[in-house]
Amino acid sequence: MPTIDISLKDLSKLIGKEITRENLEAEALLWVKGEIDGEEGDLLKIDCKESNRPDLWSTEGMARALAPFYTKERGIRKYTSEFSDLYIHVDRSVDEVRPFITAAVISDITITEELLKQLIQLQEKVSMTFGRKRKTVGLGIYDYDKISAPLTYKACKPTEIKYVPLGCTKEMTLKEVLEKHPKGIEYAHLLKGYERYPVIIDKNNVVASMPPITNSETTGKVTEKTKNLFLEVTGTNLEDCKVALNVMACALADRGGKIHSVTIDYGKQKIVTPDFTPKKIKVKFEDIEKITGLKLTLKELKELLERFCYDVKKAKDRIEVEYPSFRQDILHPVDVIEDILISYGFNTIKPIIPDISTRGELLESELFCESLRNVLPGFGAQELLNFTLTNKEVLFKKMNSKEENCVEIANPVSSKWSCIRNTILPSLMEFFENNQTQEYPQQIYELGECVIIDEKAETRTQTIKHLAWALAEKEANFTKAKQILEYILKGLNMEYEIEAEEHESFISGRCAGVSIKGTKIAFVGEIHPQVLKNFSLEFPVCAFELNVSEIYKLKE
Amino acid sequence: MQDIIQGLHPLERKIIPFLKNTMLFQELLEQTKMQEAEVMRALQWMENKELLKIKTETKETITFGDLGKKYSREGLPERRLLEQLKKKTLTIQEIKLEDAEKNIAIGELKKKAAISLGKEIEITEQGKKLLEKEFPEEKFLKSLPKEPKSLSEEEKRTFESLKKRKDIIQINIEKTRTITLTELGKKLLKEKIDVNLLETLSHDLLKTGKWQGKKFRKYDVKINVPKIYGGRRQPYMEFLNKIKVQLVQLGFKEMSGPLIETEFYNFDVLFQPQDHPARTWTDTYHLKYPTQGKLPNDLVVNRVKNVHQDGGRTGSTGWGYKWDPKIAMQLMPRAHATAVSARQMVKGIENPCKYFTISRVYRPDVLDATHLIEFNQLDGFVTDKSISFRTLLGMLKLFAIEIAGAEEVKFFADYYPFTEPSVQISAKHPQLGWVELGGAGIFRPEITETLNIETPVMAWGLGIDRLAMFKLGIKDIRYLFSQDLKWLREPRIV
Repeated sequence: MPTIDISLKDLSKLIGKEITRENLEAEALLWVKGEIDGEEGDLLKIDCKESNRPDLWSTEGMARALAPFYTKERGIRKYTSEFSDLYIHVDRSVDEVRPFITAAVISDITITEELLKQLIQLQEKVSMTFGRKRKTVGLGIYDYDKISAPLTYKACKPTEIKYVPLGCTKEMTLKEVLEKHPKGIEYAHLLKGYERYPVIIDKNNVVASMPPITNSETTGKVTEKTKNLFLEVTGTNLEDCKVALNVMACALADRGGKIHSVTIDYGKQKIVTPDFTPKKIKVKFEDIEKITGLKLTLKELKELLERFCYDVKKAKDRIEVEYPSFRQDILHPVDVIEDILISYGFNTIKPIIPDISTRGELLESELFCESLRNVLPGFGAQELLNFTLTNKEVLFKKMNSKEENCVEIANPVSSKWSCIRNTILPSLMEFFENNQTQEYPQQIYELGECVIIDEKAETRTQTIKHLAWALAEKEANFTKAKQILEYILKGLNMEYEIEAEEHESFISGRCAGVSIKGTKIAFVGEIHPQVLKNFSLEFPVCAFELNVSEIYKLKE
Repeated sequence: MQDIIQGLHPLERKIIPFLKNTMLFQELLEQTKMQEAEVMRALQWMENKELLKIKTETKETITFGDLGKKYSREGLPERRLLEQLKKKTLTIQEIKLEDAEKNIAIGELKKKAAISLGKEIEITEQGKKLLEKEFPEEKFLKSLPKEPKSLSEEEKRTFESLKKRKDIIQINIEKTRTITLTELGKKLLKEKIDVNLLETLSHDLLKTGKWQGKKFRKYDVKINVPKIYGGRRQPYMEFLNKIKVQLVQLGFKEMSGPLIETEFYNFDVLFQPQDHPARTWTDTYHLKYPTQGKLPNDLVVNRVKNVHQDGGRTGSTGWGYKWDPKIAMQLMPRAHATAVSARQMVKGIENPCKYFTISRVYRPDVLDATHLIEFNQLDGFVTDKSISFRTLLGMLKLFAIEIAGAEEVKFFADYYPFTEPSVQISAKHPQLGWVELGGAGIFRPEITETLNIETPVMAWGLGIDRLAMFKLGIKDIRYLFSQDLKWLREPRIV
């Protein structure tokens, strides 16, 4: 969710009314799903939670959305573009790599430091969040007076053509830009695997830009001296390119710029951008009433919608609403209904406590786990809750056991948390290691989740519950562990068999396996001194671990 | 006085007849013929009752070590070497001394300039003179035992150099404890001490009834007893169990799901587009092994695919991209508990119904006092034909009052990819003040209609960890999964 910097003074100027932090925070910000994240003098950091509305990610956009809240402005703000003869010819060679382009020219604009800051911020937020880090949408801003029209958007081989990228002095091939230019290095992955890279060239065959990487040093420098701007958006989806262009163009128009259109010639089809024709959607009255739970008259609805920058057209059993061309977040009538609710004010709605009669219950399997968990404190054991994330060192190496397949994280934050446990005993041993300065005896247990690999399962794994118990003290021995384990097993009222077992974590000859109906469900024993050494323990430990999920299955 | 007498421990009573106004501990020990520890314990108890005083003095004595005893019989190795050299010069191998002694003897004599070292070792004139006299070391050893305090300057030097050599001398520390009775103690000795007090109420006494008419020895009830720790449930687990009970009381049914999920349930069913930023590596964990799971039956998968691509039959435009089943098949540790709701809805639900889950979820974060890498989320959903945004707010308010003990609530517009309208709730807690309690909304029709659920579904998630931290009195969130036995053992009964 983008965080944007907004100057209160600038915002007040754009709205035409004095705006303070207080009145912004009290209600207006709720309209744009904003939250103040920080303040520095006149500057507010606003966290914009609406991740599908790039039109809100600038002071201009916020001002536009909030104007009806503070002033008498209603409905869609009108934007027009003057027809210009600027032409972009799209060569089919871009189809494979980045097929779409939209563009506009902004004239008569006074570029101030504040405007430049906002412009760059908006460009950044739109291409990062809306454009998925330039993957689906990338934006370019140019000094229009340094471009020789008409332009061609085409794809060239990596070494076929050279230009001086922004911030550089020497000519580079496209390949070199990806290898050497900071933006080239950062975004090279977007062009990886393509035989040709997209470029915008002017009538003299000079490269103006290499979308979505960087434009040229000659055309791409915008300063306070620049008078006319050329905007270009390239991407993988035409609709997104149109939205991003309109967001930028409208913001500049709000600052007094005049918008001029550009004709994009796709060969078979010509389009003129930017296109500010409002979009339409129909919403049923019935649905509005059902979802909001409010009985609203048409007049009330009209006012609520117009205050949210909609135009309301027709009304029978449904209303037809128009909304600004730069909005891309309305997929379904419910999106309009939410806006009606926000416009109404969430905190003016009277909540109704739902009266739905259902029978509550806990999962049978959970109740079974709880019965087991409640047995052990009676023997003096302290319950633990450990992380399921761990690592192979703890799971296998320190436990002296052979490495088994377990769930491994591809992008762990730390190697300490790189696997998900398949047994609980290692968690208990680690706990002992962390608590050597505490008084002994230490008797602990945990009944919790583990994940084992199961190639046949839907998720190739099974989430199962285990119960592990361990005692560390001078006199910890097999008998003490077996006593408690057998108390539990007897309580289950199932027939079980105990047999000697070899387990690398336990002293040979002092470990037993327990099975029910031929299925192994538990093991118990004295921990091997090498394992104790691995966890730096100086007291013997006896322990058992029980597969609770398996027992539950067998019980049914 | 009677209280003191009746409170005397059998050990105290045993030593009393032997006590004198002033006596040495050793003396008492010999007379009572009891264990040293028993006598000491009894004396300490009596000292606590101000019946006597124990004064401890330590005395240091220098005595022979094992080698010192040997040398006082056989002579120091340096003297023996010098004797040998007086007869003839010797190579090191020819010296008749133990290997360990050779080096020391040579070293000592070298220091005294009594020998000269070449290929062979030779006695010097100085050495011959020395041999005739008694060495200071020999003189010192003869004079033992001695107290360190009484040493002359010269003796001190010899003492220091002998101390550096192994096992020649040692310092014995002797403790002398003197017992002196106080006035109260003297009085006690004059009293008649009843020996008929009962110590332990034994099985035998009860069986025979012999306890009747007898008195029990009085205990010092203020005495410190050894600490004991009871086994108990984990405090955060207890907190979660209470929440579960509250939800069951409100008519909610518990549900669960696997820790490792396909992206299908974690994202796709919930209408989160496949290129959504929340699905990237920085926001969620991905797996190295295993990587791909299976999708459910084609019917559900096709509907989900269509709704992503063009909205299917839900009246939505969809996201307008080509949906890829391979991405949906990717496995990941569950990133949010709503995945459990997604699974439950695909499996099938009754109508009306109320569900909840407390599920473990994973986020790539750095573990510190305010962030966990895995934690529990409380999530759920409700469906019924009566549901609207107003009932959603009503349910949230009910949660805030019942679960968080809130006095007031406030609602904020919010954005979640799977609900529309969406709302965030803040609750005013009597002690914590305004707390962000959770998020909720009505599942998008793209989700519910795709799964053939005809009534609106309210989905909610509550952040209960801050409440848990408050209830458990902790500032560090890691204590919810505490690795600190000391803290877990702390008695807390609420």
